[in-house]
Amino acid sequence: MTTATAPAHIAPFALDHGRAGLRNQVRSEWTKLRSVRSTWICLVIIVAAGIGLSALVTNIEAGRWAHLGFADRAQFDPVRMSQTGEFLSQFVVGVLGAMIVTSEYATGSIRTTLATTSRRTTVLSAKLLVIGTVIFLVSEVTAFASFFVGRAVLLAHGGKALPAGSSIVDQVRSATIPVVSITDNGALRAVFLCGVYLLLLTLIACGLGFILRHTAGAISAFVGILLVLPLIVNILPSSFSASFEKFLPSNLGLAMILVTSRKTDFAGILLTPWAAAGLLALYTVAVVVLAGWLLVRRDA
Amino acid sequence: MITASGITKTYGSTRAVDDLSFEVQAGVVTGFLGPNGSGKSTTMRMVMGLDRPDSGVVTIDGKRFGDLRWPLREVGALLEAKALHPGRSAYNHLLALAQTNSIPKARVDQVLELVGLEAVAKRKVGKFSLGMSQRLGIASALLGDPGVLLFDEPINGLDPEGILWVRNLLKGLAGEGRTIFVSSHLMSEMALTATDLVVIGRGQLIADTTVEDFIASNTEATVLVRSPGADALGAALVEAGGRVAAGPDGGLLVTGLDATRIGDVAHAQGIALHELSPQQASLEEVFMDMTSDMVDYHGHSPLEVSS
Repeated sequence: MTTATAPAHIAPFALDHGRAGLRNQVRSEWTKLRSVRSTWICLVIIVAAGIGLSALVTNIEAGRWAHLGFADRAQFDPVRMSQTGEFLSQFVVGVLGAMIVTSEYATGSIRTTLATTSRRTTVLSAKLLVIGTVIFLVSEVTAFASFFVGRAVLLAHGGKALPAGSSIVDQVRSATIPVVSITDNGALRAVFLCGVYLLLLTLIACGLGFILRHTAGAISAFVGILLVLPLIVNILPSSFSASFEKFLPSNLGLAMILVTSRKTDFAGILLTPWAAAGLLALYTVAVVVLAGWLLVRRDA
Repeated sequence: MITASGITKTYGSTRAVDDLSFEVQAGVVTGFLGPNGSGKSTTMRMVMGLDRPDSGVVTIDGKRFGDLRWPLREVGALLEAKALHPGRSAYNHLLALAQTNSIPKARVDQVLELVGLEAVAKRKVGKFSLGMSQRLGIASALLGDPGVLLFDEPINGLDPEGILWVRNLLKGLAGEGRTIFVSSHLMSEMALTATDLVVIGRGQLIADTTVEDFIASNTEATVLVRSPGADALGAALVEAGGRVAAGPDGGLLVTGLDATRIGDVAHAQGIALHELSPQQASLEEVFMDMTSDMVDYHGHSPLEVSS
């Protein structure tokens, strides 16, 4: 293919000036992330599932409004319906977050990556920053787009906003489908925290990738925390499980998108939205710190 | 220069590297020889700061890997050719690496051309052959134009033309004053490429010397003798203090006497000589000889197994 015997040199470089740092690793991680197709597939799924499921579920629920009983009408929550896609997206971001780490362990290219810096924590930080930023932006755009799509569907079904200061009783008695505006009490926060929830889950999955260093292991752990852990807690005596059910990551996610002023059936059982977001952030910090500690200590 | 001082590495109950010390000099190609499982790759990973020695220190030009500010610009390594994301193109793989050490984009094209992959730069590396992956690995190592280069089995999967190319490349890089440390289990290849040798077996140092000295000091001079009076000559040579063994085609393999002395003995006895040639042991023979008791995984011939 070639007969060249020695490489040309690159421009002289001051080796004792500065160092290969976080900015370098961030650029590199962005190149890696954007240069594989699976990234784009995952992002398209997040957007499509978010907006598509919002339109679908809101449309189904809106069509049933006239036939709903009091209890169902009380639980009719346009914001939560518009964020149905989040349930699917949480697993997509989990897979993406874990894979950007475990795919490197699977091929052995993590050693190439770690040999580019004498500070391994910059690799961890750069991965978290890049995947976190991308997922956060895409999730927020999707969450707001889903909200407005859901609202448009309700309006198309003849929905109307309830008068200011309406209680849940007014909602149950309303002849028309209640429509929520983004400026309504708690709506903006709920939609915003939907993106925050996906961001924090992404970072947890990424951390699990560094801790477990294995694709199947990291994704199993992630799915286990969101799906299996609640089932196990459910089996425990209710007097026992009731005290920490609300601390489960999946229930924190539910709490974060709840418009609490609407007094749905979850009120009181779950933490308040900001408390839930804060606790999930604490979990995230714990996972990331453990990941960093192991990354520095273990052989690559 | 790479300096290892008393490095030891244990995985569970296996001591992969045991109190290993050696120096790899700049300006020459240094071969790193050892049977499979002898600790070559572990040693290279320790040089690159990937595995931490239980004890001992490895330095690159006097600095530990952890103290390098721009690692890719000081040390480049090809450790595993297939350690690549299969869905990424060769160009993007190198670009991501270049960005970690502020290496200009133009250098990516430069090394792609150097290793002969410019035509397939945009193709996914999952479709690359082992030989193409080796070339990409070499391009990665050269990306930062570093003064110290490590190659773990770089000619695996290369065709004869590629092997020749690597051989010339390594010599060229050494000629520019760089430190070149190449592991291989192919002794014949090292004999052609390397000047210096570090030989290990079961994680321990067997030799840290030049290829020439390694062969000279580890083989007893053997002389092949052919003569119509082989029997009489053999007896006379034994009497003169030599050891005689049957050689190929009725020849005699004589050790303990050099060619001059053998010629004199034959002349004194009036025996005609048809051939008198000193035998050069190959690096491979010396190596096999030295490490035969250090190979962890022996192959057996079918006969051996059944008996």
